[in-house]
Amino acid sequence: MTISAQVKQTLASLKGVQGTLETFSSSGGDPEAKEILNRNSQKIAIIIKNLEKRLGVLEFEEPQYKGF
Amino acid sequence: MPEWLNILLRTTGLFMLTLLLVRLIGKRQTSRLTFFDLVTGIAIGVIAAAISLNLAVNLTNGLIALVVWTGFPALIYLLSIKYKAVRDIVQGKETVLINHGKVLEDKLLEARFTPEDLLSQLRKKNVFNFADVEFAVLEPTGEVSALLKKDKQPLTPKTAGLNVGQESVPQTVMLDGTIMDEPLTAMGLNRRWLHTELEKAGVAPENVFIGQVDSVGQLYLDLFDDTIQVPKPKAKELAFATLKKCQADCELYALGTKQPEAKKMYGKSSKILSEVIQELEPLLKR
Repeated sequence: MTISAQVKQTLASLKGVQGTLETFSSSGGDPEAKEILNRNSQKIAIIIKNLEKRLGVLEFEEPQYKGF
Repeated sequence: MPEWLNILLRTTGLFMLTLLLVRLIGKRQTSRLTFFDLVTGIAIGVIAAAISLNLAVNLTNGLIALVVWTGFPALIYLLSIKYKAVRDIVQGKETVLINHGKVLEDKLLEARFTPEDLLSQLRKKNVFNFADVEFAVLEPTGEVSALLKKDKQPLTPKTAGLNVGQESVPQTVMLDGTIMDEPLTAMGLNRRWLHTELEKAGVAPENVFIGQVDSVGQLYLDLFDDTIQVPKPKAKELAFATLKKCQADCELYALGTKQPEAKKMYGKSSKILSEVIQELEPLLKR
């Protein structure tokens, strides 16, 4: 597996976790827990953005693996 | 009037009367029986029995005794709510039996407690070694309450220095195969959500005996058919494990890349993720 494929996998996992956190926060009753979940899901969003940027660079370097 | 009819009528009447009078005394008698409560209870019972079996000299005298025996306790209870002095006399005060880990022999004598009594009462509280007790007190009801020494108290998350997430009461959304709409809406969910979750678990709604939703919206099920294994919700644990994996991935990429810029970005991501993991651990894992 190339690096770009691995990064893609990590990216997908992170997006999944972010989704899970958001569902928890939308159905959770405790406002404090909600706040923690929201804050951390925003932090993960930043990482996702960074990784996506990096992925763009990687795909530019290895165009043959683009889209996988 | 034949004697049996007389007794039948008396007993029926007295039964009703005693029921009414005992209600008048109030509820607290049976829940916490002090010695005084016991005495009044027995007196009322004996008088009622004596009247109904015609053992009392005459009916009026018996009834007067009965009314006094129920009226006074009722009055005293009312007074004892208002005045502490009355309360101390009627209900008795608690007696400290062990203080700072030392048994107070004179107090024990005052309470007519033998050492065996003390030990047996402590054993009832699951304390088998009296040296574990910091403080013990004899309640007016005759029960012994004990405070254990700090190092013998049960371990709580706080004493272990752990943060735990807040968890509110789980809502029961299905009972006996029927959907309870009220708890569902209280959680901000609806029937469609429930049907999707049931489908995910591969369970027919008719087969569900109990269904509960916890504070983060995970559905726990018990089925009529006990041979079927229901998958336990693992979303929390899974999210936590995935986060850890992603953090490890980022570190790996940081080591693998040769571009300083990317190295920095991966390093930062991994740091942020470890912060996220630390913050979410109480919520997702505990």
